[in-house]
Amino acid sequence: MKVLKVSGWTIAAFVLPCLLLYVCLVFLPIIVSVYNGMLQWNGIGTSKFIGLANFTKMFTDDPVFWPAVGRTFLLAGFSMLVQLPLALFVAILISRYVRRTSFLVSSYFLPVILSVAVIGQLWKTIYNPASMGGMINQILVKLGLDSWTHSWLTEPKIAIYAIIIVGLWQYLGYHILIQFTGIQNIPADIYEAAKIDGAEGFKADRYITLPLIVPIFKISVVLSFIGSLQSFDLIMVMTGGGPAHATDVIASVMYNMSFLSMKYGYGSAIASFLVVVCLLATVIINFLFNRLDKRFS
Amino acid sequence: MNKTSKRVLSTVMTGLLAVSLAACGSTNNGNKESKGAAADPSSPAAETSVASPTSKDKVTITFQNIYPDPTDPKYKMLRKVVSQYEAEHTNVKVELDSLNTDQQKLKFKTQAASKEMPDITIVNPAAQMQPFVDADLFAPLNEMVEQNGLKGTFTEGILDYYTFNGNLYALPDGNNIALIYYNKSLFEKAGAKVPTTFEEMIDAVKTLKAKGITPIAIGEKDSWTGSFLFMNVLLRTNGGPGFLKDVVDGKRTFEDPAFTQAVDAFQSLVQAGAFQEGATSFDYNAGENLFKTGKAAMYFMGSWATGGIETSDVSKDGNVGVFKFPTVGGKGDPNQFMLAPGSAFAVSKSSKHLAETLDFLNYFMVNYPKEMFEQKGAIGLAQTVEGDFKAAGYSDMAMEVMNMFKDVKGGDLAFDNTMNPGTAQVHLSSIQNLFVAKKDSAAVAKEHQKGYEENKQ
Repeated sequence: MKVLKVSGWTIAAFVLPCLLLYVCLVFLPIIVSVYNGMLQWNGIGTSKFIGLANFTKMFTDDPVFWPAVGRTFLLAGFSMLVQLPLALFVAILISRYVRRTSFLVSSYFLPVILSVAVIGQLWKTIYNPASMGGMINQILVKLGLDSWTHSWLTEPKIAIYAIIIVGLWQYLGYHILIQFTGIQNIPADIYEAAKIDGAEGFKADRYITLPLIVPIFKISVVLSFIGSLQSFDLIMVMTGGGPAHATDVIASVMYNMSFLSMKYGYGSAIASFLVVVCLLATVIINFLFNRLDKRFS
Repeated sequence: MNKTSKRVLSTVMTGLLAVSLAACGSTNNGNKESKGAAADPSSPAAETSVASPTSKDKVTITFQNIYPDPTDPKYKMLRKVVSQYEAEHTNVKVELDSLNTDQQKLKFKTQAASKEMPDITIVNPAAQMQPFVDADLFAPLNEMVEQNGLKGTFTEGILDYYTFNGNLYALPDGNNIALIYYNKSLFEKAGAKVPTTFEEMIDAVKTLKAKGITPIAIGEKDSWTGSFLFMNVLLRTNGGPGFLKDVVDGKRTFEDPAFTQAVDAFQSLVQAGAFQEGATSFDYNAGENLFKTGKAAMYFMGSWATGGIETSDVSKDGNVGVFKFPTVGGKGDPNQFMLAPGSAFAVSKSSKHLAETLDFLNYFMVNYPKEMFEQKGAIGLAQTVEGDFKAAGYSDMAMEVMNMFKDVKGGDLAFDNTMNPGTAQVHLSSIQNLFVAKKDSAAVAKEHQKGYEENKQ
């Protein structure tokens, strides 16, 4: 503070507008949500304060809620364990073997800029039954694998995986781009030095790329984890959470409760839960990566 | 806090205030803007003077509606009536806010929550509009319908669905019944005959299925479609209307045999392969398109679909016929229908130009049946229509549907028009589940009963 030669009050005054804006846009809505979560309210009429009843019901007596939480984490799990390593692998291959990278990277990135509604409709037709011209099923029939055909989006056990695959496909390019940029930023002389020491190919990746990409990888992990927790649009477009809640995630349950069942209070309780999970997840991921960082440096 | 910081804080707050005021000001009408930006605290008072109904100042009425589709007769009708009215009342401008049904529902709920409603909006009958009425959002229309003989144009009893505690709150744009459309040439190709009982219907389904034809099209991603069909089965197994009312009155529960029989009958239809594969991922339009493009033999829907089907390719050369939902297990009367009183126009109580809005809506509703008749969309209106339909070029199918209205001997409303939204959602997802999994009817009944009791107020 002394170094800046200005009083603390001046600093406060300059920070204040931004802080106020931030508090108004971020913290107030969260607090209001938590408060709304304690109401029995249909969103338009009069409300009744019922304390933690919504939360107790949500945690103990809601057949839809916990499976939806499970599916949300399933989504996050697939994203972290399949999508990110694959993205890293592709990024390494591109940076090593491809001369003109921009074309490939942009093609991988293409689905990200498409609207989710377009992607949802596209994949719905791909997943359609063979009789409706669904691509996957028709290919299976042509290959003589009739018994493998499924009604991908409407069989309760498979539907959620069908949606996960679309989600992974859509954002793969996003993570490839992030990690590819990370790899490009690793100075070439490190690789050259390693080459002299006899570390080439996968050895170089193991001892140079992986440790140096950790900070970038962390961004990918946080983005994909939070993104998975909030996933909503794709599910609304493709199945609407159905058949019979088989593809519901936290956000879609929240939407259905608030706007279709008109239990605004209950929906707010779910929203508060989602916020807490997101905050916790960010803290945990940061903590884990800080330890990882220390190990490598 | 010391003096400087207070001054700093107050400057910041003033700045914020100015910014927010300027932001609000821009949403106001053009000529007012300079005043709003000046942050004059008296400006709201100046605005209210415009609101007095006798003033001849320019008045803008916002009309939220669900007719965004230019091919829909209602789209043309709406614009025509509005421009007529504007020509006769030069001081009034009607601003249209046309949205899809789902978008409108969502937008209106949000607007209602923040008490910033359009002057005229769309609501659904009975239980669906109850929460809004309870929140006291609408202006009563009792006096308005008496003017220009508007009340007399409505079919008897239809306004009851929009009346609460003796006050009428909305005027319906239609009055529909549920029926089954069928594709004559597909029936012929498969050698199926038009069913008169539910059992024959299942036979027809099997015959069609054996020829590789999708028997019934449905858009079950929008789960009300399946519920509508299921409720028609229940209307039969119950031997007449009023099952849900009995439940609400506490006379019966969902575990009643009438309900479980309906579940069993409905499942037998699903198990016979009646619906297209992957039905639960088809939305309403996609489901209807299967029928309209001749890919499915039957389609169960409200009579509002008549116009769309009539103008589609499948309907060429009188290829589409209609029949009433048949008896189930010998029970029920085909002349009792699922009734669907239409979505309705309601006026916001807090409207700034209440008198003008009521006057406009009166004019609109008086002209509505005439214009709809001219646009060939006068099937299933809530108002009596004068004119020779046959001479005006309505198709045979449309005439058949119209004759069905004459046979109506009562019926039931859809589930979500009878029960509160919470219970309705439990029901909708429970029925949707029957499309993908076979379930014990007792378990379905139990699920309904539990959902009903939890959401009872």
